[in-house]
Amino acid sequence: MRSPLTKRIFREIRDEAGKYIVIALFMIALISVASGYFIADASLKNAYDESFGLYNIEDGNLELAQTADEAVTELFESEDTAIYPNFYKDEDSKNGSTLRIFSEREEVNKVCLLNGSIPEKDDEIALDRLYMKSNSIAVGDTLTVSGKKYKIVGTIALPDYSALYENNTDFMFDTEKFGVGTVTKGGFERLGDKNIHYSYSWKYNDPPKERFGKDAYDKSDDFLKAISKNVMLLNYIPTCRNSAIKFSGNDLGHDRIMMIVLLYMLIVIISFVFAVTTSNTIAKEANVIGTLRASGYTKGEIILHYMAPPVIVLAAASIVGNILGYTLLKDNMADMYLGSYSLVSYETLFNADAFIETTIIPIVILCVINLIMLISKLSLSPLKFLRRDLKRHQRRKALRLNTKLGIMTRFRLRVFFQNITGYLTIFVGIFFASTIMVFCLMLNPLLDNLAAVTVDNMIAQHQYILKMPVETELDTAEKYSATSLKIRNGDFTEDISVYGITKGSRYYHSIINRDTAEISSAFADKYSLKEGDIITLHDEFGSHDYSFTVSGIYNYPGTLAVFIGIDDFAEKFDKDDGYFTGYFSDKEITDIDDKLIAGDITEDDYTKTSRQLKRSMGGLADTFVYIGIAVIILVVYMLSKVIIEKNSQSISVTKILGYSKREIGAVYIRTTTVVTILSILLCVPLVAVAIDALWRAMMMSYAGWLAPVVPVSAFVKTIALAIATYIVTSFALKHKINKIPLDEALKNVE
Amino acid sequence: MFIEISEIKKHFGEGESRVDVLKGINMELEKGEFCVLLGPSGSGKSTLLNIIGGIDSADSGYVSIDGEKTADMSEKALTMYRRRHLGYIFQMYNLIPNLNIKENIEVGAYLGEDPLDVDEILKTLGLYEHRHKLPNQLSGGQQQRTAIGRAIVKNPDILLCDEPTGALDYNTSKEILKLIETVNKKYGTTVIMVTHNDAIKNMADRVIKLRDGVIRKNEKNEKKLSADELDW
Repeated sequence: MRSPLTKRIFREIRDEAGKYIVIALFMIALISVASGYFIADASLKNAYDESFGLYNIEDGNLELAQTADEAVTELFESEDTAIYPNFYKDEDSKNGSTLRIFSEREEVNKVCLLNGSIPEKDDEIALDRLYMKSNSIAVGDTLTVSGKKYKIVGTIALPDYSALYENNTDFMFDTEKFGVGTVTKGGFERLGDKNIHYSYSWKYNDPPKERFGKDAYDKSDDFLKAISKNVMLLNYIPTCRNSAIKFSGNDLGHDRIMMIVLLYMLIVIISFVFAVTTSNTIAKEANVIGTLRASGYTKGEIILHYMAPPVIVLAAASIVGNILGYTLLKDNMADMYLGSYSLVSYETLFNADAFIETTIIPIVILCVINLIMLISKLSLSPLKFLRRDLKRHQRRKALRLNTKLGIMTRFRLRVFFQNITGYLTIFVGIFFASTIMVFCLMLNPLLDNLAAVTVDNMIAQHQYILKMPVETELDTAEKYSATSLKIRNGDFTEDISVYGITKGSRYYHSIINRDTAEISSAFADKYSLKEGDIITLHDEFGSHDYSFTVSGIYNYPGTLAVFIGIDDFAEKFDKDDGYFTGYFSDKEITDIDDKLIAGDITEDDYTKTSRQLKRSMGGLADTFVYIGIAVIILVVYMLSKVIIEKNSQSISVTKILGYSKREIGAVYIRTTTVVTILSILLCVPLVAVAIDALWRAMMMSYAGWLAPVVPVSAFVKTIALAIATYIVTSFALKHKINKIPLDEALKNVE
Repeated sequence: MFIEISEIKKHFGEGESRVDVLKGINMELEKGEFCVLLGPSGSGKSTLLNIIGGIDSADSGYVSIDGEKTADMSEKALTMYRRRHLGYIFQMYNLIPNLNIKENIEVGAYLGEDPLDVDEILKTLGLYEHRHKLPNQLSGGQQQRTAIGRAIVKNPDILLCDEPTGALDYNTSKEILKLIETVNKKYGTTVIMVTHNDAIKNMADRVIKLRDGVIRKNEKNEKKLSADELDW
C-alpha cells in the first residue's frame, strides 16, 4: 500500500506555495541560464569543429608579392600541397574601420551565409555579421568602398575569420574597427588593382593528424623551409598559428568551469535555505512526527517525506529550466559568444552532460545537504518530538546578557542567538551575492584601468614588427629583437614575449646587465616572481629550455615579457650579430614598405583589448548582477520568513500584550536589518580577498594578465544595491509580521 | 460601571457550517470584581473573553471599559487599550521561549507606565532563583507563574485569564489561583477568569454561566471562599 504520507507532500507544497514558487522561479532562472549556456557552448564548439570539414578551412595562408606563376604552383605541388588564391584588399570603411574584401570563394574557406544572399552582381557585397552589428549596418544598406557603391545583400561568417584579427600579431581583435566581406570576381575587380594582397590558402594533401598538434607545427615549419628558399613570402600563417581561426575554438568552453562553480555554489546556498526551512517545518510539526514515529513509521520514511518537497520542486524547476535553456535561452547564451566571434551557423545538440550538470548533480547536492540535516534532526526519540523538546543538549542556563541593556536590546539579541544558523546562512548568501556583484561591477572599470595603465606604460608610441630585417632612416627608431617562448603552469602553457633591448635605449628606461633579465610587472604579478628568481621558459614544443635570472621588474602591465640585452638575445637564440625583428619609435616609420611590416602595435591595439572585452562581457556581467540581487532577496527573505514563522506565537503574544507594530518590527525586523547590513559591510574585505584569489585563479588559466584592481566604486555600488534590495525585502517581512493574527497565540500548542 | 457588555453577538462559519457562538451577551462588572465565566466547551466563554480583550471583534453589540467602547477603536487604539488596561494569562502560558524568566516579565513591564518592580515580582512568585532560566527549563506551574508575573507587572486594570489552571495539577492549580486572588486583592485588579472547573466559582465575586452562547446564570457569590479553601 502506498504511504498515506504521500498525499501530504503535495499539500505541504500547496500550503507553502509562496516559498516554493519563489525558490522554483530562482532555480528555473538559474538552471535555464546554465543549461542554455552549456547547450550553446557545446553546440557552437561542435559547429566550430565541424566547420573545418564543412567549409574546407585552409591549412595555412601565405602572401606573395604578386600572383603565383606556374613555377610557384609547381613548387607547392612538389611539396604535396595545393594552393588556392584568396586575394583581398583592405579598404577604409564606416566609422574609420578597415574592411577586408575578398573575392568570391569556391573551394577553401567557403562562405557561411547567415542571412540574405551571397553576392551575385558586381555591385553587391556580403559582410561579416559581427562587423555589421558593431557598426549598425543592415542587409539592404549601401556601402561606399574605394569610391564604389555596394549593396549589402547578405550577412556571412568566414570560417577563417571566426575571430576578427586584422593581423596575426595583434593583441586582440576589434569587431568595430575591422571586418571582412566578399564580393563577386567582377565586384573585386571594381575595386581596382592597387594594394591587392596576393594571399593564397594552402591545403596539405596529407594533413597532420591533429590540426593544432605538434605535427601541424612541424609540418608547417618544414613547409616554410622548403618554399621560402625559392619564393619571397610577405606573410606566412599556418592555421595552427592563426589567431583568427584558432582563438575562438580555444575560448569556447573556457568559461564552462566558472559556470559550473557558480551554479553549484548557488545550489549549495539554496540547499541550505531548504534545510533551514525544512528544519523549521520539523519544529512546527514535532508532535505530528512524534505521533508518526510512535505509531511505527520509520525514521527513513519520515526523512523521505520531508526530503520530497524540495526534491520535487528542484526537479520540476530543473526540467522547466532545461526546457527554457533548450528553447529560449540557448540563443541568448550563444549570443555571448556570437557577440565576440564570427562563428558559423550552428545546430542545437542534445547535451547529456548539460542535463546531468544542471539536473542530476543539483538534486544530489540538495539531497546530501538536506539528508545530513534531516538525519541529525530526526535522530531524537519519538517522546522528545511529542514533547516538542527538540534540543539535542539541554542547556542548564540560558546565555546571560548584561541587564544594563534595555529589554528591547536584549530581546533583539535573543532573537539573534535563537536564529544564528539562519543568520549565518544569510551572511554566506550575502557574501556570495556580493562576490558575484563586485566581480561583475568591477569588469568595466578594471578594463578601463588596464587600458589607461597599459597606454601610460607603453614602451613607445609605435612598436613595429618586421617580416624581415629592414633599415630605416628615421632617427627616433630603435631596433629591438623579440621572440615568443612558453611558460608551463601545470597543464597550461602560455606565451611569454622575450625582448632584446638596445643598450642605452631611449625607450626602455632601465639598465639591463649582461646575463640578467628584467621581467614585466604583469609577468611578476601573475607568477609571483621577484628579483633573484630564476625562470625557465621553453620553445613551442619544449625541446629547448631557456633560463633567465630576474634582475628587476619593469613597469609594463599589459604583457608578460622578459627583457634582456639585444646582444644577449642574439647569443641566447643563436642569431647573427646585429639581428633584430622590429623597431620602437615615437614617430611613424614611413620609409619601409608596408608589405614588409607584419604589425605596428600602437595605443589603439592596447585599448582594443579592453574595448572588445567590454563589448563581449558587458551583457553577461549585467545578468550576473541581477543574479546577485536575486540571491540576496531569496536568502534574506526566505530565512527571515523562517525566523518570523518560528516566532509567530511570540509575535502574536506581543501583539496581545499591547506591543505596537513598530515595536514588534524593532525586535524581529531590526535584528535582521542589523545582521543584513553588518553582513553586507563585513563582507567587503572578505569579498576583496575572495575576488583577488578568484581572479588570480581564473587568470592563471587564461593567457596574459589583467591585474585584479577592484575599484572602490564596485564596492560602493554593491553595498548600495544590496541595501536597496534589503529595504525592498524588509517591506515584505513587515507585511508578513502584520499578517500574523492575534489568535495565533490562542492555539493550544504544547 | 467599569466594564459594560451589551448585546454581544458573534458567529463563526457561513451557511450550513454557521455557528452562533454568542447570541446577545449582556453583563456588567465593577472595578476590582473577580468574575468567573463558567461553561462547557463551545459555550462561547473564551470567545467572550477574547472580545473583551480586544483580540476578537463582535458582530454586534459593544464592550465598554471605563466608558470607552472597544468597537469604536482603531487597530492602533485597540493596541493601546490592551497595553494600558489589560493583562492576559493563557492556558498554555505563551511565554516567549528565547527570553529567560526575568526577561519574559520585563517584556510586560516595558508596556506599563508605572510598572511594578520586576525583582519583587520574581520573589513574590517564587521565581527569583530561576530568573536566568529559559521557560522550557521550568515546570508548568512555574511557567504559569511567570505568565502571571508578565501580566501583572504593568499593573493592569483588568486581568483576563483563559483557563489558567487547565494544564496544571491540583496543587499547582491552587498555587496559581492563590496568586491571582492575591493580585485581585492587593492591587484591586478586575479579574475575569474562564474555566471549566466548577469549584473555582467559589472564589469569585461574580459567577456567570454560559451555555450555547447565552448567559444562563449571572449571580453574585455571597459565600466567597479563599483559593486555599477550594477543593475538587
